[in-house]
Amino acid sequence: MSHLYESLPGYRITGSDAPEKTVLKLGFVPLSDCAPLVAAKVLDLGRAHGIEIELYRQPSWAAVRDKLISGELDAAHALYGLVYGVELGIGGPQADMAVLMTLNQNGQAITLSNRLADALQAGRGLRELLAAGTRRPVFAQTFPTGTHAMWLYYWLAAQGIHPLADVKPVVIPPPQMSDALASGVLDGYCAGEPWHAVAEAEGHGRTVIRSGEIWPDHPEKVLACRRDFVARHPNAARALTMTLLEACRWLDDLEHRREAAGWLSGPGYVGRASQLIMPRLLGDYGRLGDTAPLMRFFGGGSVNYPYLSDGLWFLSQYRRWGLLSQQVDMAAVVRAVNQTALYDEAASALGVLQPASPMRSSTLIDDRGWDGSDPQGYADGFEIRADAGVGGIGDGRR
Amino acid sequence: MLRVLLVNDTAKPIGELRDALEHAGYAVIAEVDGAAALLHAVETQRPDVVIIDTESPSRDTLEQLAVMGHAAPRPVVMFADRSEPQAIRDAVGAGVTAYVVDHVGADRLAPIIEVALARFEEEARLKKRLANAEQQLADRKLIDRAKGVLMDKRGLSEAEAYATLREQAMKQGSRIADVARQLIAMAELLG
Repeated sequence: MSHLYESLPGYRITGSDAPEKTVLKLGFVPLSDCAPLVAAKVLDLGRAHGIEIELYRQPSWAAVRDKLISGELDAAHALYGLVYGVELGIGGPQADMAVLMTLNQNGQAITLSNRLADALQAGRGLRELLAAGTRRPVFAQTFPTGTHAMWLYYWLAAQGIHPLADVKPVVIPPPQMSDALASGVLDGYCAGEPWHAVAEAEGHGRTVIRSGEIWPDHPEKVLACRRDFVARHPNAARALTMTLLEACRWLDDLEHRREAAGWLSGPGYVGRASQLIMPRLLGDYGRLGDTAPLMRFFGGGSVNYPYLSDGLWFLSQYRRWGLLSQQVDMAAVVRAVNQTALYDEAASALGVLQPASPMRSSTLIDDRGWDGSDPQGYADGFEIRADAGVGGIGDGRR
Repeated sequence: MLRVLLVNDTAKPIGELRDALEHAGYAVIAEVDGAAALLHAVETQRPDVVIIDTESPSRDTLEQLAVMGHAAPRPVVMFADRSEPQAIRDAVGAGVTAYVVDHVGADRLAPIIEVALARFEEEARLKKRLANAEQQLADRKLIDRAKGVLMDKRGLSEAEAYATLREQAMKQGSRIADVARQLIAMAELLG
């Protein structure tokens, strides 16, 4: 009879923590920071936890979302903001979502066209440069509610540029960004690697800032699934979290990252030369130096805890940019999405330290502090918001 | 008349929908092959419906337009609508996603999706038919070789060789081609 009870949501019988599902289908998007999934697969880290991981490369974040919702994928490497966008049904289907853990911090960047990068380097301000253009500047990111959209908007606004009014914010698939810069239809973009290294190698643009300079140790990709997947397969979800936590720990070693860069370059994963992936994965940004917080996968577990304040930050920015107009209990949303209890179990089982608080404090590029205590007040405190700060530059070119 | 934009940037021959849609009375205003061209076409040509392969990398570009809701028509993800007709769910299953402007109701979209669906089903049938034809050709070659072995080793006529193969197949309850393959393998083994 025990198997009947095991299938009930949330029910665990002592001594039987076996995963309810042993083969798990995971989606990923070809980016350097899908490394934890690739490492878990190549090193077969799931075996010790009774699971086997199958990886499925996805052509778009929309595909990741649809397949998580349809059940074609059990879990995925996903933009932090994608999870919250789906949870709130912003611009697409609504589904109750879960963040099992954070997979990495930092490691993203903004690239500008050579013309803008040159002028910026010569000491001119971006606001002035964009105002002097003949058309409304076009900036790209990767998904409307995603992390890259939020880093780009935050960075532009911190320089007095309204990201929704002064520039045209579009989405272009990262592999097409370099060509779009070259053809002149695009002025800059925020995305993951190796798509900045690619634009530099092709001579079409230059990296001007790394995302860790916008928000030091910002959350980036998460291990995401539907909430009912966790409810129906709590043991499998915990086993998966443990597996990815071990993969992240493995990636903390730079020698291991070097090895992972080789795997990522394979055609089934990122499919770009290792020399485009490896340097930045190791923190080597050439002329930009090593002054920015770099890609982190583990940091003793400090990267991976699904901090409630991280989720709240995205909600605050959705408010700021007019993406979230309905009234929601932000704290309740975040507590439902971020699976802190499950993470605690997984981390404890591996002896990984957990933070003292589910909130953390940061100071972002505009010197504003964020500790998660008042997301609405934080959102209202910005001068440039969806409903304010419009008309600074670019009047008449909209 | 609904104005349709086709995004043709995957291996799937979505561009072949053009004829079918035009035949059904829709205006296919453009066919684009990447995000930059898609953005330009949406802005300048204002389509009512965008038909795109579910596996297209340009889908996120349309997601952004759906959220921003300015600059052009407001595409809405049909997959989002829980009350969507079965036809649209089927279409997503068949690998087509439609992004439509607000004022286009599901009832007007459904026929377009049906055309798309029919086109892809036909595609699948053609592929299957081709695969069957190739299989038959391969079988024929195997049987010819096996007949040759029997005629050579046992001095049978071609008709007798074929009859032998057929009899053996009936006895084993397997296909003649499979018996032929066994016989050839055996002949190679025994020299």
